[in-house]
Amino acid sequence: MSKNNDSFMVTIKDHKTVEHSAPRTLLETIELHQIEIQYHCREGFCGACRSKLIKGDVEYTTDPLAYIDDEEILPCCCIPTTNIEIELAK
Amino acid sequence: MKYTTFNQVNNNPLTEPMFFGNPVNVARYDQQKHQIFEKLIEKQISFFWRPEEVDVSKDRVDFQKLSDSEKHIFISNLKYQTLLDSIQGRSPNIAFLPIISIPELETWVETWSFFETIHSRSYTHILRNLFGDPSSIFNDIVENAEIKKRAADISQYYDDLIFATQLWQTLGEGTHLVNGVNHTISMRELKKKLYLCMNSVNALEAIRFYVSFACTFAFAERELMEGNSKIIRLIARDENLHLTSTQHILNLWAKGKDDPEMAEIAEECKEQATQIFLNAVEQEKQWAEFLFQHGSMIGLNKEILCQYVEFIANHRMSAIGLGQPFDVKSNPLPWMNNYLSSDNVQVAPQESEISSYLVGQIDSEVNADDFGDFDL
Ligand SMILES: [Fe+2]
Ligand SMILES: [Fe+2]
Repeated sequence: MSKNNDSFMVTIKDHKTVEHSAPRTLLETIELHQIEIQYHCREGFCGACRSKLIKGDVEYTTDPLAYIDDEEILPCCCIPTTNIEIELAK
Repeated sequence: MKYTTFNQVNNNPLTEPMFFGNPVNVARYDQQKHQIFEKLIEKQISFFWRPEEVDVSKDRVDFQKLSDSEKHIFISNLKYQTLLDSIQGRSPNIAFLPIISIPELETWVETWSFFETIHSRSYTHILRNLFGDPSSIFNDIVENAEIKKRAADISQYYDDLIFATQLWQTLGEGTHLVNGVNHTISMRELKKKLYLCMNSVNALEAIRFYVSFACTFAFAERELMEGNSKIIRLIARDENLHLTSTQHILNLWAKGKDDPEMAEIAEECKEQATQIFLNAVEQEKQWAEFLFQHGSMIGLNKEILCQYVEFIANHRMSAIGLGQPFDVKSNPLPWMNNYLSSDNVQVAPQESEISSYLVGQIDSEVNADDFGDFDL
């Protein structure tokens, strides 16, 4: 587990780079910066927020049940563990 | 192959394909070929709810205040949802259980279908509250041309697979003359029927519900029919989980992580799978047209609803590798997300009264945040 006070930079392709800090989820960080992102369940089972992880690593706070491809992540139930670069679904 | 309720072959369930291998024998969950189905079972059970827990009595007063065109929208949607859940409460069991070969998937299908029966029971709960005797509403489901059209399209893929499976189980592969008609049964054809059926189920739970969900939540945005909205939120949460399960099945096949022949079929039938989805989108748009034929409702009209169907279809289709055929960039109904989030299902402040003891307990939990601005 990463430490609770960790904060990392999140570069969102075609948008901007924002700072993520615990205890927010990655989805909450994206919303905090008024970047439009699709979501439904907010706990990893629907897959609506499915996004592409281009660089870096994340860690899941809830076991994701929705289908995700190898290079994809679910922002609603993960937190970055390094600086990351992501691309949101269109 | 004849079906047996307890296959006495000492097979290894970890090497069976999801479908068309040996019938399942021991219902064991300590080991799984595809762990995801065990996780979905646990999640679905954790969602358990009873329609009677939701107090819908205030809706009766609200219903009287609706215009005639709004009443038409509300009741038509309930009829359509009743149809969908009538089909879903039985069909996965009848079509899939006889051909499933791993215990975790068998139990997932049973759990899934059981929740569909809760959905069906909730429509009776809602309608009984509104009408006392809901018979005329239920009767119209098998009379109404718009609904029957949809029923035929949805049940066709299930019925096709079920009939072919029955012939295969009793007569095996080959060409069989039944009531003057020749039917050729081969494993390849059976698997194709299964593949198309799974796509049709996926499309059903991916988009068919969403036009009526949008109408329900548009009423709730005006603080109308909130008991109904509370129930539909519970249903929508379950439906999302069901959708996830068929997305997993389709992707396990397509990526060659289960039966290699299914990967070939997925490639071969991609066009047909896409068409199943596009037909469902088209039918939903026609449904929106039918709903609004006597007039729109506040906050929603046919155009925006059709855009929403396209938006949802893009997301659902890309999840199973069918691309994004529609040109809608942003969510035309952003408020829908609030109703589809699990956070809001249990404890939303604007919620209508909940009568049951069980849910009452959950509701009485108080968060420190609730008193954020409260000074002593
Ligand atoms: Fe359902
Ligand atoms: Fe369902």
